[in-house]
Amino acid sequence: MTMKQQLTRILTVTLILAVAWSCNQSDPAPKGTYVQGVFVINEGNFTQNNGTISFLTREKNIADSDIFSIVNGNALKGGMQGYAIAGDQGLILVDNSNPGSDKVEIVNANMFTTEASIGAPDIENPREVIAIGSSKAYVSNWGTLNSNNTFPAGYVAVIDLATKKVVKKITTDKGPENMVLYNDKVFVGNFDGSEGKSLTVINTATDAVSRSVPFSATPNPIGIDANGKLWVQAGLDLIRLNPDTYETESTVKISTDMSKSAGNFAMGPDLKTIYFVLSSWNGNTNRGETYKFTITDTAVNLTAPFAKRIFTGLAVDPRQGLIYAGVTPSYTQSGYALRYRSDGTLVDSVKVGIAPTGFYFR
Amino acid sequence: MSGLKIQKIDSVLLEQFRFRNIADLLSINTPVLFKSYGPGQLSTVAFRGTSASHTAVLWNGLNINLPTLGQTDFSTIPMAGFDQLSVQFGSSASIVGTDAVGGSILLGSSKPQPGLQVMLGRQQESFRNNQTQATVKYGTRLNKNWDFSGKTAAYDGNMNNRYRHPERNGEAISPSSTFQKGLVQDLFFTNNKHELSAHFWLTDNTLTNNPENPAGRQMTRIQSSRAMLRYQVEGWSLRTSWIRDVIDYAVGDYSKIDHAVTDRYGVRGERTFEWKAGKSGSTIQMQTGGEFTHYKTQVENYERPVISENRGDLFILTRWQTSRRLLVSVNLRQAFVTGYRPPFTPSLGAEYRLIQNRPYTVRLRGSLARSYRVPTLNERYWKDLGNPNIKPENGLNKELGAEAGYVLNRIHSFTGNFSIYHNKIDQWIYWNPTNNFRAENLQLVVSRGLEMQLGWKANRENVQFGSTVNYALTNTSQEKIFDAYATDIVGKQLPHIPLHTGNVTLFMQYKNLRLTNQIQVISKRYTTADHSQSAPGYCLDHLIVETTLPWRRYGASLQGRVNNISNTFYQSINGNPMPGRSFAISLLLTAKTTR
Repeated sequence: MTMKQQLTRILTVTLILAVAWSCNQSDPAPKGTYVQGVFVINEGNFTQNNGTISFLTREKNIADSDIFSIVNGNALKGGMQGYAIAGDQGLILVDNSNPGSDKVEIVNANMFTTEASIGAPDIENPREVIAIGSSKAYVSNWGTLNSNNTFPAGYVAVIDLATKKVVKKITTDKGPENMVLYNDKVFVGNFDGSEGKSLTVINTATDAVSRSVPFSATPNPIGIDANGKLWVQAGLDLIRLNPDTYETESTVKISTDMSKSAGNFAMGPDLKTIYFVLSSWNGNTNRGETYKFTITDTAVNLTAPFAKRIFTGLAVDPRQGLIYAGVTPSYTQSGYALRYRSDGTLVDSVKVGIAPTGFYFR
Repeated sequence: MSGLKIQKIDSVLLEQFRFRNIADLLSINTPVLFKSYGPGQLSTVAFRGTSASHTAVLWNGLNINLPTLGQTDFSTIPMAGFDQLSVQFGSSASIVGTDAVGGSILLGSSKPQPGLQVMLGRQQESFRNNQTQATVKYGTRLNKNWDFSGKTAAYDGNMNNRYRHPERNGEAISPSSTFQKGLVQDLFFTNNKHELSAHFWLTDNTLTNNPENPAGRQMTRIQSSRAMLRYQVEGWSLRTSWIRDVIDYAVGDYSKIDHAVTDRYGVRGERTFEWKAGKSGSTIQMQTGGEFTHYKTQVENYERPVISENRGDLFILTRWQTSRRLLVSVNLRQAFVTGYRPPFTPSLGAEYRLIQNRPYTVRLRGSLARSYRVPTLNERYWKDLGNPNIKPENGLNKELGAEAGYVLNRIHSFTGNFSIYHNKIDQWIYWNPTNNFRAENLQLVVSRGLEMQLGWKANRENVQFGSTVNYALTNTSQEKIFDAYATDIVGKQLPHIPLHTGNVTLFMQYKNLRLTNQIQVISKRYTTADHSQSAPGYCLDHLIVETTLPWRRYGASLQGRVNNISNTFYQSINGNPMPGRSFAISLLLTAKTTR
């Protein structure tokens, strides 16, 4: 055997062994610090551009306050508006107070290492992000506001995660914000100060608007319930909509007190419970409570709040069923994430970043 | 008022900073801290650990803080607008009135010399920035009894801020441009008993953020017209004044402009008495008087389209020189504001010459003073967020200090100045974020610290050199628990205020050539109240070379300057990187008649 043949044989055997060994492994679990846990979206103080993403594992009550800086050594430089994971990539929405400096930062979902950044003019005032499968994401954008602070028609930016580029901008109504995915449809609602009173329906196969559903107030889609119905909040109405025919099936009045406003809706993992904050300006203070509504209820039980306080963000962990509630004491100090059981008892409180407004569970 | 520390800026410095603004001069030569968003952009003061609205800015004795914001943007006050500058440390509300909580900055006009003097100057800087000034001073005898003198000055500044490297350390320098114009007119009529003077100062400052972005640009234009008439005769002093401040703000295509106009009409009268009191050299001086100002403001976002109010002040200021060594002053002031009851603000101060008539002198001083701040018009009248029931802030400032001078020999002399203070400000107004940013009297802030200033001068025949060193330790914190989460911030250094600040100036002069090196040090600053985020400290180094070429009645002063020699990356306000190394060159031509 020549030296060359010997070498070839050794390599071949090694290769076969390696392949066999690797076949023996079941689908490998992804490695990284951020594979499992809760991501907290801390909006930050707008003009200071100091929003952060905090991370905590479910067993602990201590969070890393700014994981992007920990991993990448530099800050995200903006207000945080959203986070979502599509495939192995995480998309962070960064809203900078300097016009033209907003961006979507794409990171490795497991390590949080930065991979790409998409900025203006593709991204202007990004508001929410959702994954459409593992290789596409939708980002709702207000666009640049008019000089008198009114809202122009907004758009949904379609991001192709293979090329990490915006491949299309889908025009929506004014002030697009929350999005709910249902089969091959995305329902896009609008910011309540935008005067955009139509729910935009996008076909995810064609990335085109398939329908525009009018409401009497700015619609905010909450989620699809256990019966496959879409719940939409518009003003003080909770509306059950058939997501296929777009017909309103029922309307529940949250409150008849027009001084109140409802927000921070979150659907529980049982797809039967909706949590939300109802607040009003009581003299000098914004006061209110957090309520729990079951989809079979004919009215909100205003006499028995879930928590006798308001929150800046609400979400329910699908894994453990705990309710995560964001507390913003002020925009110049760290906020807290309070964890509640579904019966309203408090589990604990975790110090996070400035102005926690959203949560992403993994 | 005795017992207070006052730092008068000398003419050499005023001349050296002729083409720059007050913040540039004071941040390099005093312990006062300025926070700036960038060249030509908003620049506010934090005097002894207080907020931007706790410093009174006086022009010939008149408070020129914008009444809507209760503060001054120092980028809009160039050195070209006045002749004298001094800094009064600590509370002096009994003399100055509202806002003089952390300290006061005093600007003044001087009476020109007889004869004619013409000055023309231009500064050219990096980033396509430039400043132009023209000044004419004149003085003549009108008749047997009356003298007349005056000054007319105009200035024009263009800050294009075209940075060659728009990013520093990967962070964008926020783009901005500033255009500034101003006109100053002083007129003095004097005879041996009377002095009548008129003062006018018109300023116009337009700042544009993101000028290249047609949809996202922001324009802030501040125009101020200030006029004053003063008359003095035998212990009487009368003053009338009018100030109009116009603020315009717009974004994008500027189709909607937020227009705010505030007028202040003021009148002030004062009478000074002096008595000899017993022993030789002992005198008592008493100034007593009153002030009345009518405010009228039209701001679109206020709860009413036109809001007017009246403010008045009554005061008695006494100085008692008890002996050649001891000077005691007792001052009393009561302010009145429509619908408000500002606190009565007395003060007590004393100065004692411990050692005098020796090669060295030591003077001790101390003061105890109440202070107050009338809430700004925004804090009271802003639609929904303002709070008409808000109370004035009130403070108590205590301080002790010592000043020493030492003449070593015919060449070397030294000076030293040392102060410690404790300033407690209660009912501190806070735009409460948990209350949708409504203004509330929530906080109690205590600022305590020390200031040290050392000087050295050496004079040889053709050579002079010297140095000044300033150091300030500022510990300022919020002390009152006003909600459950305030425990995270109570007792912690206030955000954006460094614990340590310092500066060093070294100069050397050979005949007409002067070389100045300026070093500024700012320690780490927290950017959030709970200290979860911070900005690192920094050190800056600047160099100035100057020469004056006199020729008969003419003169030419040439100055070359390198700012931030070491090209240090720094941010005065976090998230706003400042430009790196930059250069400036200026030429001032003067001509005057012989006397």
